[in-house]
Amino acid sequence: MPDEGKILDIARVSFLNMIKEMITLGGVAAAKGGLIRNALACADRIREVDYPDFDAFVAAIGNATNPITVIEGKAEHTGDGVFGLPDCPFAPAIANYTEVFGVLPEGYAEFTAEFNKPGPATARYRIGEGAGVSPFCAVHQPLRSAIGDKITIGGKKVRVTQLGCKSGAGKKGFADRLIKEAGVAKEVVDAVLDNHMCCYHVAVE
Amino acid sequence: MAEEKRILVVDDEEDMIWTLKNCLNHQSLHAEIVTAASGEEAMEVMEAEPVDLVLTDIRMSGMSGLDLMLEVRNRWPGTAVIVMTAFPSPEYKQEVLGRGGLHYIEKPFDIVELRQVVFDAVNDDRSFTGTVVGVSLGDIVQVNCLSQSTSALEVKAKQGDGVIFFVKGRIVHAESGSLSGEEAFYRIMGLDGGNIASKKVARAPETSIDKPCEALLIEAARRIDEGGRDGAVFDLDALDAEDPFPALIHEKDHSSNNGDFRADGGDPQQSQAQEDDMDGNLNDLLGEFTTIAGVNTACLVGRDGFLLDSTATMDVDTEMIGAIASSGFGASESMGNQLGKGKMAMTMIEYDQGPVIFSPVGDEAFLVIVADKDSNLGMIRLKIKKHAQAIIAAAAI
Repeated sequence: MPDEGKILDIARVSFLNMIKEMITLGGVAAAKGGLIRNALACADRIREVDYPDFDAFVAAIGNATNPITVIEGKAEHTGDGVFGLPDCPFAPAIANYTEVFGVLPEGYAEFTAEFNKPGPATARYRIGEGAGVSPFCAVHQPLRSAIGDKITIGGKKVRVTQLGCKSGAGKKGFADRLIKEAGVAKEVVDAVLDNHMCCYHVAVE
Repeated sequence: MAEEKRILVVDDEEDMIWTLKNCLNHQSLHAEIVTAASGEEAMEVMEAEPVDLVLTDIRMSGMSGLDLMLEVRNRWPGTAVIVMTAFPSPEYKQEVLGRGGLHYIEKPFDIVELRQVVFDAVNDDRSFTGTVVGVSLGDIVQVNCLSQSTSALEVKAKQGDGVIFFVKGRIVHAESGSLSGEEAFYRIMGLDGGNIASKKVARAPETSIDKPCEALLIEAARRIDEGGRDGAVFDLDALDAEDPFPALIHEKDHSSNNGDFRADGGDPQQSQAQEDDMDGNLNDLLGEFTTIAGVNTACLVGRDGFLLDSTATMDVDTEMIGAIASSGFGASESMGNQLGKGKMAMTMIEYDQGPVIFSPVGDEAFLVIVADKDSNLGMIRLKIKKHAQAIIAAAAI
């Protein structure tokens, strides 16, 4: 039962509970696929955009006009295509849920482990593989990568790679293989996560 | 040219008579089609001149199809009967088969399928020998089971020979050398090259086997897998012209399939090389399923619903199949967990137009097989069992 006096944000709470229901009814793998496809469907609705150069792309991130910022707010470019996101877009939902119910729904840890398993979707969108710290990463990370697929810089495709993520409790998750593939030092990702909740890399193909 | 057969179509619906007559007036059947609008009229037609096959509706005013079938059985025992109904029920089916009906088909039916059933029925009394390219002995046994055949299948190979007896589609007895019963059956299934002859018999000399066909074939496949055996291929020349068994002929393209019966003295090394090649190719392995008559789609799907590979003989969105199937698969598995039923082996959802089968392959993926109505489910299960390990290896899952 919710604590008295606490206000339940039902739009958020129902989403968190829906994830739990998905896990119960279909198992963690099917739930993971469902959330990823949900994210990809959202990305489908984002417009395509071309920036003349990388600086213009970064500037658009900084002033929140980049399609990526539409879903997560402003990020900071820490150099060499590495970006740090100060706030997790799901933090308010988590905060509200835990404020009212005390703990997150059951099955989240198992789901997160499933999300981090390599598979066709994680390979295609360069996500997970250790960079997931909660089920929400299964929405956020593919959404950002799929939006990246809609962005070009000077007519060339952009490739977004998830490098790491940090839970509300401060636990960091690293996608070691993807970090290596992106050519970024793990120490850099670690340092970015000291001050940010999410770390990703953007490369121009 | 084979002797022209005489087929009597009995239905009290004029439109249906017209449709069936047109459908059966096909060169592959080489038959004269005569018609009757009632059971009574059918009797008059047969009294005037016997027919080889009666294709009758079950529900007619006056004499019903079942009554007609009994009369035909009593008075013209050599005449085959196919009973049709638009009101399918297990009871009807049981009654038809119990009264000695040769076949039972449900309306609406596929014209090509009906033509094949009729072809099988009017040719049921012919023994045949020869070779069928790319068809395993297991396929032929399955065909005998599915067609409710009462027959003896003689198999002759270099290593030995044997006979498998079928009574109304059940494998009831087998003999091979000094062996009889199940052991004889498994020995015959392990033969790797030779000839077959299917002969109509009234009954088996004895009943020594009491297991479903599917269970026998699975055990035979297991023994072959463990013991090793080259495949073999039959080549049945007589069936080439009109492609009456499209599923069997299509198997030609996949003759590297382990377990094919090869009567042409094929090079075992080449066969093994082809098999090895197929083992490495996931799409070829999935293609093994679409060679089964009626199977139109085979997908390997990750448990998260993302497609690993697929093959389809019709235009379907396999990505979407994978996504939706993962929910169905996950739900089936969750139910098993909730009920304490252990690991899921297979599940099938049956729709009006045919089944969809899910089967886990390894820990990370599952197969989705989409088939038409009346597809050979036993063969699908057999192939899943047979190819599961190779699929796991090819997909690296």
